[in-house]
Amino acid sequence: MAGGYTGKILRIDLTNKSVSTLDSEKYQEYGGGHGMGSAIFWDLCEDKTISAFDPKNVITIMASPFSGTLVPAASGRTEVQGIGPQAWPTELFTRSNFGGRFCGHMKWAGWDGIVVEGASDEPVWVDIRNGEVEIKSAEGLWGLDAVEVQEEIWRIVQNGVEKEWREVGQGRTTQRPAVLTIGKAGETKSRAAALIHDAGNGAGQGGFGGVFGAKNLKAISVLGTGAVEIADPKALMDARIWSMDYAVAGHYDEYQPLGMGSMFGGAPASGAAGYAPADQPKSPMGCLGCHKNCRARFQSGASNGSSCVDYFFYHVYDQAAHGSYTQHILDATEALQRYGINSYQAEAALIWLNNLHKAGILGPGLEIDTKLDFTKLGTADFAKQFLDMMANGYDVGEALHEGVAYAAEKWGRYEEDTKTGILPIQVHGYVQHYDARTEVEWGYGSLVGDRDINEHDFNTLVFWAPSVANLFGAQPACSADQLAEIMAEKLTPYNDPMMMDYSDEGIYSESMAKLVAWHRHYTRYYKQSLAMCDWAWGDFFNEYGPEGRGMTGEGEPRFFKAVTGIDQSFEEGMEIGRKIWNLDRAIWILQGRHRDAEVFTDYNYELGAVPGYTTYEVPYVVPMHKDGKWSYESAVGRVLDRDKVEDWKTKFYTLEGWDPATGWPKRETLEELGLGHVADELEAAGKLGA
Amino acid sequence: MADNDIKTGEEAQANEYSRRQFLIGAGGVGIGALAGGFLVKSFFLPEKVFAVPAAEGYLVVDTKKCAGCASCMLACSLTHNGVGDIALSRIQVQNNVFGGFGAPESIVQEQCRQCPHPYCAEACPTGAMHADASNGYTRTVDQAKCIGCERCIEACPFTPSRVQWNPKKRKAQKCDLCKDTPFMTEEGGVGGQQACVAVCPTHAISFVTDIPVQNDSGYQVNLRDVNGAWALLGMPTQDDGSYAPAASAAAPGAH
Repeated sequence: MAGGYTGKILRIDLTNKSVSTLDSEKYQEYGGGHGMGSAIFWDLCEDKTISAFDPKNVITIMASPFSGTLVPAASGRTEVQGIGPQAWPTELFTRSNFGGRFCGHMKWAGWDGIVVEGASDEPVWVDIRNGEVEIKSAEGLWGLDAVEVQEEIWRIVQNGVEKEWREVGQGRTTQRPAVLTIGKAGETKSRAAALIHDAGNGAGQGGFGGVFGAKNLKAISVLGTGAVEIADPKALMDARIWSMDYAVAGHYDEYQPLGMGSMFGGAPASGAAGYAPADQPKSPMGCLGCHKNCRARFQSGASNGSSCVDYFFYHVYDQAAHGSYTQHILDATEALQRYGINSYQAEAALIWLNNLHKAGILGPGLEIDTKLDFTKLGTADFAKQFLDMMANGYDVGEALHEGVAYAAEKWGRYEEDTKTGILPIQVHGYVQHYDARTEVEWGYGSLVGDRDINEHDFNTLVFWAPSVANLFGAQPACSADQLAEIMAEKLTPYNDPMMMDYSDEGIYSESMAKLVAWHRHYTRYYKQSLAMCDWAWGDFFNEYGPEGRGMTGEGEPRFFKAVTGIDQSFEEGMEIGRKIWNLDRAIWILQGRHRDAEVFTDYNYELGAVPGYTTYEVPYVVPMHKDGKWSYESAVGRVLDRDKVEDWKTKFYTLEGWDPATGWPKRETLEELGLGHVADELEAAGKLGA
Repeated sequence: MADNDIKTGEEAQANEYSRRQFLIGAGGVGIGALAGGFLVKSFFLPEKVFAVPAAEGYLVVDTKKCAGCASCMLACSLTHNGVGDIALSRIQVQNNVFGGFGAPESIVQEQCRQCPHPYCAEACPTGAMHADASNGYTRTVDQAKCIGCERCIEACPFTPSRVQWNPKKRKAQKCDLCKDTPFMTEEGGVGGQQACVAVCPTHAISFVTDIPVQNDSGYQVNLRDVNGAWALLGMPTQDDGSYAPAASAAAPGAH
């Protein structure tokens, strides 16, 4: 097989407590990660309409050819897929991923990934040491929180030899095993439960923690001592050194903090340092092989490895209660990680509960009764009490254990609260992450897919940089003109500068359809199959790059060739992404997806966009093309027009080669992508686009 | 030639010696007794005949900067062995991700200290492990001569052993300051580039030519209070882990 691949995927059958091997070569055309996961799911999950907690649900946990190598911000991310319990009203085939070092150990152990099927009749964990795989009783582990269980598994696997070299079959290691686990929330089969690895790495969205719980699977531990073969090692080292020039790491001697622009060029610890007490000593902390290291290790050890949204469920309350960020937010986030709860769910839940409390609906003895004392909101104790309720399913947790969408349905509040927006669910039961009314490529991408996209490729450049600059009366590092120029160069194959037009006309245009399509294809292949981290890639504008150009278009193929030996152009990669995207689309369609289901919640069409639907957004200033000129303009107060969104959907489906009447792919589209067999299955189900 | 008395009082008292060092014995000279700042050419061991010139290069790592990304380990195995394999890395990092910043065993780097008295070389029956005169007397395994007896691995006084076992070749290997790096374009070795230094994202690793101040738990080095970058990044620069007051007040990038 090509460099970067081990050739084998581990297949675990929990029902029969047996293991076998899948041949990776069959799936190599999909790249790795997500592409392989979708193709494997297609093959192994016969009935794709089953529920997420059904033992027949197939979970894939995939590495990429870059895992366990020196490719920057691409060595440490593991892609998880399967039917997730979170989406509402239909549990959709979905994805999440997590950082750290788990995928590196899978590769060093000789595995391109792991497939989990069936369900055990008793709690178990899986102990993988190179080629040796054992399914063991989780007695003594079940019930431990997500940190305790990892420490315990480390003890078990290290077996008293903690510092010295330790034999693992023919190999040796000094390392702790890499463990993927669940906390209490997963054990109780919460739809809002995450998978946790090491400190702060979580696959939260989708609710895969609950799936592990339903399978009676407490943890998977993997320890590898082998080698990832690299096609051209010197080229990889050269490429890594080249990429340092685009990063802070290559500019230490003359370092000055720069304005927001490039993710690849971002500062270490930037995902955590800003949400902690200012005087608490810390160092950066990061994933395997990363050039950036965006999290932190704190003196208190609390919330180590956590980042961004891990804090955003609670940081504003700490600040409001105490005047600045204190140990409370660190302790609250630590608790979130230990319970193994999806932080987006916790964030939306608290926004909603707080809103209901302020409206006199929720509180001790009120319509929705709770013991939560909102005078303590902002303290770590309040957070822990709330998280305990979510994880264990009592008090407000009796409903919120199922995540906010199912909880709202249970309380009979879904329609009303998503109309007034006090419950910020945006689409498919997923909460607002960025505003669909303003940063439309984000909202639309979520609309036509399975979840909140959580793909920040354009986010810094079209939202954060101009919006934050605007707060200070400044201009962002990348001008609107330069943004349009760069995107026209880099967004192959469309290369249309109008893809950057977020004006009231632009957001419903065919150019915006191209942007969303480009984004789906790029992320499916490069970000989720080759596992290039969202916090660094794609690199469009980079302050350190020549004339502000980042590496995207050149960097991805360069690293791919160095590792695999395959000369694959960026255009070819984008086509593979389009193939994977269409395969995913087919799975959702078999699960019932139709254009009629692709509708935002009411507040998006009826209320003007303002901050408050999340804890962190600021007034939206976005690029617009008006009167022949590019500029950054305010989109505050905008609502989406229902009919125009429907028109936009038609444009998007047409662009993608899908039947605009239904949103279903046409046969010729699937066949030209080598997915004729997928077209056959859609046709048999009566769901092929006409 | 033995122009330095390296049995110093303060450093010797401050340190714990591992049992292995005592057992091996070295005529009263323990590793931890070395003071930094001396360029030791060689030294005199009363009852031993084994003596080699001191190495002309050392890697030092600032634990408080290390992010635990293992880029060093990946770069080492890539440039030397042409693969991604941290088990073959000649610098090892052990990371307790749950450990607090500044706590002793939270994050530990274990690189070869190019010992003035290299027990590994002394133990080698074939001369494979030797001080390489062509590379600043770096203690190195000549792969052609190595018979895989592992005495060097056992002899290393540090835990984990700074000598690695290559299970495919069935030979020992160790840090050679990147002399033998067929997969690195830049010249390596004492006069050249070290892969780990080149890739470390936080510049936590540095190459020095003088024996660093050290004790049994490692080199004591502060690479944070250098050229202002670390403070501008909002990170603590002082030896006790705290922030320099002026730096944290002035730094625009700090929270």
